[in-house]
Amino acid sequence: MEKKIFDVAVIGAVVVGVSIFNDLARNGYNVALIEKELDVSTGTTKANSGIIHAGFDCKPGTLKAKLNVEGNRMFPDICNRLHVPLVRCGAYVIGNDEKVVNDLLSRAKANGVVAEKLNRKQLVTKLPNITENVTCGLFAPNSYIIEPYFYTICLCEEGVVNGGKVFFDYNLKKVNRAENVFTLTDGKTIIEARYIVNCAGGLFNEVSTILQAEHYDIKYRRGEYYVLDHSEKDVVPATVFPLPSSAGKGVLVTPTASGNILVGPTSYESDNSTITTDDGLKEISSKVAGMLNNINLGKTIRIFSGVRSIVGDDFVIEQSKKVDGVVNVAGICSPGLSSAPAISKYVINMLGLNYSNTSHAKTITPYTKLSELSVEERNRLIKKNSDYGKIVCKCENITLGEIKDAINRPIRPTTLDGIKRRVRPGMGRCQGGFCNDKVALILAKENGRTIDDIVKEKKAGKYVVGDVASKGVDR
Amino acid sequence: MKYDVIVIGGGPAGMSAALESAKNGCKTVIIERNPFLGGILKQCIHNGFGLHYFKEEFTGPEYAKKFIEMVEKEPKLTVMTNTFVTAINGTKVDIVNERGNQTLEGKALVLAMGCRERTAGNILLNGTRPAGVYTAGEAQRLVNILGKMPGKEVVILGSGDIGLIMARRLTMQGAKVKAVLEINPTTSGLRRNIAQCLDDFGIPLLLNTSIFEVVGTDRIQGVWYGKVDEKYNKLYDTKKFIKCDCLILSVGLVPETDLVNMPLNRVTKGVFVDSHLQTETDGVFACGNFLHVHDLVDNVSLEAKTAGYNASMYAKGKISKTKPHTLSAGNKISYVIPNKVYEGDEIIEVRFRIKSKITKSNFVIKDTHGNTIFKKFVMASNPGEMQSIELDSKLIKDDIVLEVEEQ
Repeated sequence: MEKKIFDVAVIGAVVVGVSIFNDLARNGYNVALIEKELDVSTGTTKANSGIIHAGFDCKPGTLKAKLNVEGNRMFPDICNRLHVPLVRCGAYVIGNDEKVVNDLLSRAKANGVVAEKLNRKQLVTKLPNITENVTCGLFAPNSYIIEPYFYTICLCEEGVVNGGKVFFDYNLKKVNRAENVFTLTDGKTIIEARYIVNCAGGLFNEVSTILQAEHYDIKYRRGEYYVLDHSEKDVVPATVFPLPSSAGKGVLVTPTASGNILVGPTSYESDNSTITTDDGLKEISSKVAGMLNNINLGKTIRIFSGVRSIVGDDFVIEQSKKVDGVVNVAGICSPGLSSAPAISKYVINMLGLNYSNTSHAKTITPYTKLSELSVEERNRLIKKNSDYGKIVCKCENITLGEIKDAINRPIRPTTLDGIKRRVRPGMGRCQGGFCNDKVALILAKENGRTIDDIVKEKKAGKYVVGDVASKGVDR
Repeated sequence: MKYDVIVIGGGPAGMSAALESAKNGCKTVIIERNPFLGGILKQCIHNGFGLHYFKEEFTGPEYAKKFIEMVEKEPKLTVMTNTFVTAINGTKVDIVNERGNQTLEGKALVLAMGCRERTAGNILLNGTRPAGVYTAGEAQRLVNILGKMPGKEVVILGSGDIGLIMARRLTMQGAKVKAVLEINPTTSGLRRNIAQCLDDFGIPLLLNTSIFEVVGTDRIQGVWYGKVDEKYNKLYDTKKFIKCDCLILSVGLVPETDLVNMPLNRVTKGVFVDSHLQTETDGVFACGNFLHVHDLVDNVSLEAKTAGYNASMYAKGKISKTKPHTLSAGNKISYVIPNKVYEGDEIIEVRFRIKSKITKSNFVIKDTHGNTIFKKFVMASNPGEMQSIELDSKLIKDDIVLEVEEQ
């Protein structure tokens, strides 16, 4: 087999890494995406607010401001191309300090973002459940909600369809450079590439050590969230932020693109661990109660946390000063998701490669989602393939056909959480209690494995741990 | 398709209701999402079923088989397996199966969809979210249906019956069950299960104790646990660590009410019913764990029989309603079913649970003037056991309340 030297190796199947991978592949480059976990979007990319921010609050003149605003404008076209739901629900920022509202409005103006000032009377007509504390606020119509993991998976699949190659379970051990070619290895597979983009997120410095490139002073901030049942979906019509503080955008309440409600995040300095805590949950609960009434945290179906890595006040996107051919992408905290498409463009320009030569790029087949089809369309599908009439996940009404389709895609998921991120069994009320075993069996069958091989998310996180003792244990 | 009575759910409640309806001459259908009838009984391979209903002890699958055989023999009864209900409108039901989507029309409808387990998210279980955390029912299915072990070193949170049963089951399969932790001062399971599943195997039951934090990134590695006060506040200075590779949650069951749009009882999380087990929607009846979570399947079968019979009478246009009065839960009563009763000439099965342990007390029913119309002595009982009394409706002239009177 002819050995292929990749034009670029991107490290980290995170939203920024995948965006770069996708754009390079669609521009005809040979591109490799390297990920130490078993799937796309297993870290910060899956665990954030799922909001494409309008960009009114970023400090004018920063990379964050430029790339957020630019990224926000790119999302509708990309999502349209990928058939990923993007909901333009808009965002309110509410509080009682008119000065902060005015500051935000002037930032919005400087950043070129549409935002309108609202008094209490105007707010009450849109958000009848604001508390007495709320006297003023603003509304930015161009704020969207999205499922960040699903977006990133589709983006990655499109990269693969356009010739990109993904290496999962690739634990980078060593990198050499000779004659302008990097040789990467995990001890098993060798990958050669002309450029490297380090998007390793929380592990940026660890990867940088291997690359012999520079380190940054990375701080971690953990954000905890509540996810509420579908029954609560109408409690807010749009994303609702408090007025911002030095710790970030604050505890928000937002609908999700899949019809749940998300409440959070906290913002604690932490290590790189995604725990939830009593203090965190209490803080969210008391902050929300000060802003909105009727947010019923008793309807929680899931709690989670995500860790964002922070370097100073802005994103760091620059060529390594120590190793030629390496681009460092670090400190991609909020608004990282919103900025991802623009960061990709920025990095590709930095590498001096083509960004817009995509006229021959291929697209992916959309996921089949029965819940979005009419009864007639569903019946037509069931007639062709009866698997679409067999519901496996009763909370989200996901059929066997949809799960099989999700496995037989350009990137074959191998984990329970991978299926959950693609087609949602386990995302509902029972949190997989009724269907985990069924999904594990389907996954095993479609991938030619047994249930003993199936993991939840991480390689050492097996779903079951062997057989029962058939005759019982001699006691 | 048109039926007299549609029954949603082919578990013990659904089968019992459907049998009663068909026996009463009504064209009846059971809609079941699994490929088989029997519901959760199929994975309950332990014994202890049927002592009240059949006066004989069976395992779960054996108990189910008794009913399945009756269902198969009943000419007026048909069964649709592998069939999901996607929507309910009055007594009409939208279904999907491998033949497609269709709407079934019933004159009456029985809701017997059972319940679901509360999850880690519901109880705000803090720490990480690794592999190795299961609800008790999921773990039971892995062991008893798939023959797979959920772990080797197990901690069980909550002393619900399925958790207790799983403590014994996993121990017999060679796992080490290190402890059962219960946040309340009393267990929520049956006394006999504490004796037969924990005491007999030397498994410690720690009361007033909960998990503070789950540890582990790939698979669970252990839990921090400790005491809680009477308001469930965690007492952090009592914090200790247990190493484990599996955490099983047996922290309560909730009626599966996703498909109905009716007001729900704050305590049972189920719908409200009258003494015919008719819900607030005309022609729609409810029973079994869908209505309130039972302790014994025998009680489910009995209750469902009433619902099935009344549904068939409704389908025939023979349900008469006299003047309704409310039946509410008073002193020390956690909830009571039914919520509405009628004057007249019938025996009403009143089912309820108490809030906390009682000894030497009376269950009394009083009217709004404080007159006692019913009284029953009880030696001792705990909230884990469902209570039931039979009330003669001739005694009802007014709104009534059920309460505990200590002697």
